[in-house]
Amino acid sequence: MLKSEKETLAAQLRPGGGLERWAERHLRFLMLAPTVLILLGLTIFPSLYMFYAAVHKISPNPDLPWEFVGADNFARLLSDAQFHVALWNTTVFTVVAVTTEFLLGLGLALLLDKFIRRLTFLKTVLMVPMMLPPVAVAITWKLIYEPQFGVLNEIMYRLGLPLQAWAGDVNLAMFSIIVADVWQWTPFIFLLMLAGLASLPVEPYEAAALDGASSWRQFWDLTLPFLKPVIAIALLLRVMDALRLFDLVFILTGGGPADRTKVLSLYIYQVAYRFADPGYAAAISLFVLFVTIVLSTWFMKRMRLAE
Amino acid sequence: MVRKLFLTLAAAASAIAIAGAAWGDITILVPSGSEGDGLRAAAADYSKMKGAKVEAVQAPYANVFEQGANAGATKSGVFDIILMDDPWIPFFAENGHLEDLTVFFKNAGMEGPDSDFLSKSLAVCRNPYNTGPYVCLPYVGNAQMFFYDAAKYKEAGVEAPKTWDDVLNASRKLTEGGGGRYFGYVFRGGQGNPVVADFMPIFWSYGADLFNADRTKVTIDTSEGATAMKTFMALRDVSPKGVESYNANEVGTALAAGAAASSINWPNWVATFEDPSQSKMVGKISYSPIPAGTKPGSSEIGHWTMGIMAASKNKQEAFDFMVWATSPEQIKISATRGNPPVRASVFTDPELTSQEQFRHYPVLMEAIQASTPRPRHPKWPEIENAFGIELSKAVAGTITPEEALKNAQAAVEQITGLK
Repeated sequence: MLKSEKETLAAQLRPGGGLERWAERHLRFLMLAPTVLILLGLTIFPSLYMFYAAVHKISPNPDLPWEFVGADNFARLLSDAQFHVALWNTTVFTVVAVTTEFLLGLGLALLLDKFIRRLTFLKTVLMVPMMLPPVAVAITWKLIYEPQFGVLNEIMYRLGLPLQAWAGDVNLAMFSIIVADVWQWTPFIFLLMLAGLASLPVEPYEAAALDGASSWRQFWDLTLPFLKPVIAIALLLRVMDALRLFDLVFILTGGGPADRTKVLSLYIYQVAYRFADPGYAAAISLFVLFVTIVLSTWFMKRMRLAE
Repeated sequence: MVRKLFLTLAAAASAIAIAGAAWGDITILVPSGSEGDGLRAAAADYSKMKGAKVEAVQAPYANVFEQGANAGATKSGVFDIILMDDPWIPFFAENGHLEDLTVFFKNAGMEGPDSDFLSKSLAVCRNPYNTGPYVCLPYVGNAQMFFYDAAKYKEAGVEAPKTWDDVLNASRKLTEGGGGRYFGYVFRGGQGNPVVADFMPIFWSYGADLFNADRTKVTIDTSEGATAMKTFMALRDVSPKGVESYNANEVGTALAAGAAASSINWPNWVATFEDPSQSKMVGKISYSPIPAGTKPGSSEIGHWTMGIMAASKNKQEAFDFMVWATSPEQIKISATRGNPPVRASVFTDPELTSQEQFRHYPVLMEAIQASTPRPRHPKWPEIENAFGIELSKAVAGTITPEEALKNAQAAVEQITGLK
């Protein structure tokens, strides 16, 4: 008998040897198990529970059983006028706010790219709005927009301009919310773009300059294509966040006036907690989740193509 | 050594926890603001007196409803008592979240709450309204009053406003002369609860109501409703720009800063108006019952009431606390903490009524006795939301007042299943 064969036999005969071998063979699964369990508890279980809730009518009376209603809660989405209003408002907010933040953030990054690397203080100041809690931002803007005593109308008054109701005006309410959001989140896009610009290779620009390419040409043919992965990530994160908008609307307008700022998150909150209908709220939440997944997949695909 | 210390501390903590449980700790869910502050202070007094732990958990107005509903739906027993706004009572009672107090009164040898409580204050604590068993006890006697700057009204040629026409006549003159910085009237026009709360007294003053007497029909879109809506729109036209988003704070601030001459408001604002550190109008605001329309004026009642959660494990202790906290002595102390009383003896107590800060008590007592409750329906939050959206649209001018009434009628019919 060879020496290695003897060692193998000894190992198999050793007490617990089989278990040790099994553990060794499945080590990667054992190492992953705690993470998977936590993930199941914190993410998968609530999601499954939401699916379960969405196909039931749940009474606020704990003594009444949950009634299975199949797809009824999803069918309600088609005929619920308040849901349609919230969906439209969320779309308008997401498109306008994220586009504005992107254009401003990219523009600022291009303008300040050259010298901001030395001005770390300016970078810190620009980061302040996005470091503030959304509730603090909302309260600050509520005070700014206050029609009678707010600073904005005081400036308008001193300049002899007509006073505005801002968050209380049907035509300005959504605009007021977008301005507050742009103020808070433009720095986020700006910082991502700045990081993207810092990582650009120098050689293509030198070659382009030698070929006599204008700054605009260099931006269009080099900067923008190089930045595409960063842009995709920035837009993806902002769109996902914009679809969940709640704090600003809850504090600034409460969804009014005349439903002009009612967004999906606020409506889900109202349905779940004010109208005590968690089954329908779960169905709306799943709809938002579906939209977010579709958009994320599309963005990720674009990102891979860009790479 | 460390292990021993840890074990000793754990054992001590467990002993304290077990002993604490044996004392029958009470946890009360209360709103932020003077109502919750008052009950929290009372809870601290009770803790000292009885040696029991009474904890008051404070949350913003809307969150009290949500947390109470969650606790009720999950039978968590996390709260023993909830301090509720009275329109929530049907929801909590009819979904089995509240304990019927009949047995507790019987065990205590009482027939029910004593007759010193105002009858309207007790009526809201019974479910169904005024006829069913008691499911709570009244603690804060809120009912809307009409607040106005008597000197400004006099300047505008109105001595004391008795009707909505008087209010409109004075307000038009004051707003016209205010140069866009001073207004005759201000109201809560914010979508949802705010705009509904400030419209209902006007609605009732013209003989309109959301439902017919036996609650079998929705009656929003009527000629009486249209007349009330006409007055409401006229009041909007003399109010500040942006009133569409106003809530209690904006209305209170406008009055306290001397930027508006009148409004409907809740009595807990009196303390602010009479506080020189917060108000330019100390001693200048007059209080009166809600003006009349084609019918006598009627306030919206908005009492804060204490009920025992059905899942509480300390029901008897909770009941004992509630009886103590609503006794004449404690309601008087609560009044000095800024909460309007619910007992006739406190409203007429010379020690209080002789003080400037309580000069509105006779008017408030009259307002409570002439008040109307919001429709008692377990779906009231949903009804209020739907009605509030249409009112908000009318105030903002995106639809006509007639369309608002028509839409609100259809929406409430759909929610309630009534025609």
